[in-house]
Amino acid sequence: MSRAAERAIRAETPNADQAAARGRLEVRGVSKAFTVNGAPIAALNDVSLTVRPGEFVALLGPSGCGKSTLLRLIAGLDRDYKGCIVQDGEAVTSTSLERGIVFQEPRLFPWATVRQNIALGLKNAPISEADKRAAVAAHIALVGLDGFAEAYPHQLSGGMAQRAAIARGLVNRPRLLLLDEPFGALDALTRARLQTELQRIWAHEKITMILVTHDVDEAVFLGDRVVVLAPRPGRISRIFDVPAARPRARSDDDLVRLRNEVLRTLEHDSAADPQLSPGSRRDA
Amino acid sequence: MSDAVIETALSTRRAFAARGWREWSGTMMLLALITRAKATAWLLIVPAVTLPIWIIGSERGWLAEQILPRPADVLHTLNEMLASGELAQHAGISLLRVLLGFAVGAGAGLALGAAMGLSRRVDDHVRPLFTAIAQVPALAWIPLAMLLLGIGETLKIVVIAKAAFVPVAMNTSAGIANVPRALVEVGETFRFSPLQMLRHVVLPGAVPPIFTGLRYGLTHAWIALVSVELLASSEGLGYLLVWGRQMFWLDTVLVAMIVIGIIGFASDKLLAAVEARLQRWRTDGV
Repeated sequence: MSRAAERAIRAETPNADQAAARGRLEVRGVSKAFTVNGAPIAALNDVSLTVRPGEFVALLGPSGCGKSTLLRLIAGLDRDYKGCIVQDGEAVTSTSLERGIVFQEPRLFPWATVRQNIALGLKNAPISEADKRAAVAAHIALVGLDGFAEAYPHQLSGGMAQRAAIARGLVNRPRLLLLDEPFGALDALTRARLQTELQRIWAHEKITMILVTHDVDEAVFLGDRVVVLAPRPGRISRIFDVPAARPRARSDDDLVRLRNEVLRTLEHDSAADPQLSPGSRRDA
Repeated sequence: MSDAVIETALSTRRAFAARGWREWSGTMMLLALITRAKATAWLLIVPAVTLPIWIIGSERGWLAEQILPRPADVLHTLNEMLASGELAQHAGISLLRVLLGFAVGAGAGLALGAAMGLSRRVDDHVRPLFTAIAQVPALAWIPLAMLLLGIGETLKIVVIAKAAFVPVAMNTSAGIANVPRALVEVGETFRFSPLQMLRHVVLPGAVPPIFTGLRYGLTHAWIALVSVELLASSEGLGYLLVWGRQMFWLDTVLVAMIVIGIIGFASDKLLAAVEARLQRWRTDGV
């Protein structure tokens, strides 16, 4: 990233340290049920979790464990649940510019350029037009998309589109960034590169991030903590601390050992799942 | 080539050279141009086959001259009617009627379609009646409309407006209701107001179906115009058709048909061009 871009980002938040002290999230006794064919299905059952300011938490689990559902509740996109979610002392009642979100698909507006897409995120930000322009330019630089500001989404590769989506999620300088399997649809090489990028951005921005993923390596590589969720009904099965120092290397022995332990937990959970375990009867 | 054109071409080239992906997109543009030329060639095949058949057929007298006049005669009549200003007068009246009727019908269609697409309640209340009205063709409204409105200009405008109204309202409501939920959610995370959502997400997302509706609407308006002029008019292109048939001036009938076809084709292309301009992002650099 260029010096000028870095200055623009800093100038916009004079007290970055104060902002870093915020971004605390509390999830208390959250349960969520969907109605499928008239019958209620428990998607989440009594989930409680506290995320510290500036922490990177990975929510890991097999498909159907409710991890994406939990993220949507935190984002404020779905208000139909039991329990409560509180960010920095304020109950989450709807979406907020304090919470950015990056979806699995980039979800860029196809009729807008990269610059326009990111600028749309600032439509309701309480800053001047000049500051908005500077913030957009700075965030394009932050995700390494200089030179592609005027490109339309269909002209971008999958990795570039997801970078633009990350810039858009960050442009409001939220205290909390939610990432819903953002690299799930990318090839292995691009995914690894973007994971490293995300780690750099997280260290630079000093904000809280919650990443939903089904990729054990990704969760262990990026997370301060890995929260393993078990399915049917979705619940927290175990929480792992990842003490490894940053920036991390994928080949780090501690990370590899931890990865194997997390994998064993996932296997254990799926063995206990009546729908997945081969030994159990269907009607059990 | 004028200097301005050369200058434009040069600056375009420079812009393409500015970035790798732009250069690549320049190549793609050329390919698109070739594809377009091929498509145009295909379009010309049918006229290229039928015109000689018409010429040979009328020369050899396959059909009586009163039924199928020679192309040369039609061309002659066309020139005469152009020179006398008769054709322009009739076409002008027809065009004015279509424009007025289309403006009224498409305007109402856009408004109702948007209301139905945006509000579940409006849709629930209005849709059944709308569907019932839509099922009765514009032509079938003419007898009732004649009694209510007489056979003056109002009748024509109302029938044309009805013809344009239905496809515009239908496509607009469907287009707006089908804007991907995923993109609306992005707007929600940015705390978009209803107006911002409309301006930045819903309308741009619904441009293609809305334009499909407008193009259908214009085609239907044009068809309704000819029908209503056939039944109740003393001027206009539709009247020209009836009059020519009654007088057995088939060259006049053919001239009127050709002009109707050309104006319809041109107006559809015009709308397509406006749509393409609104949707530059689809083609820009591909």
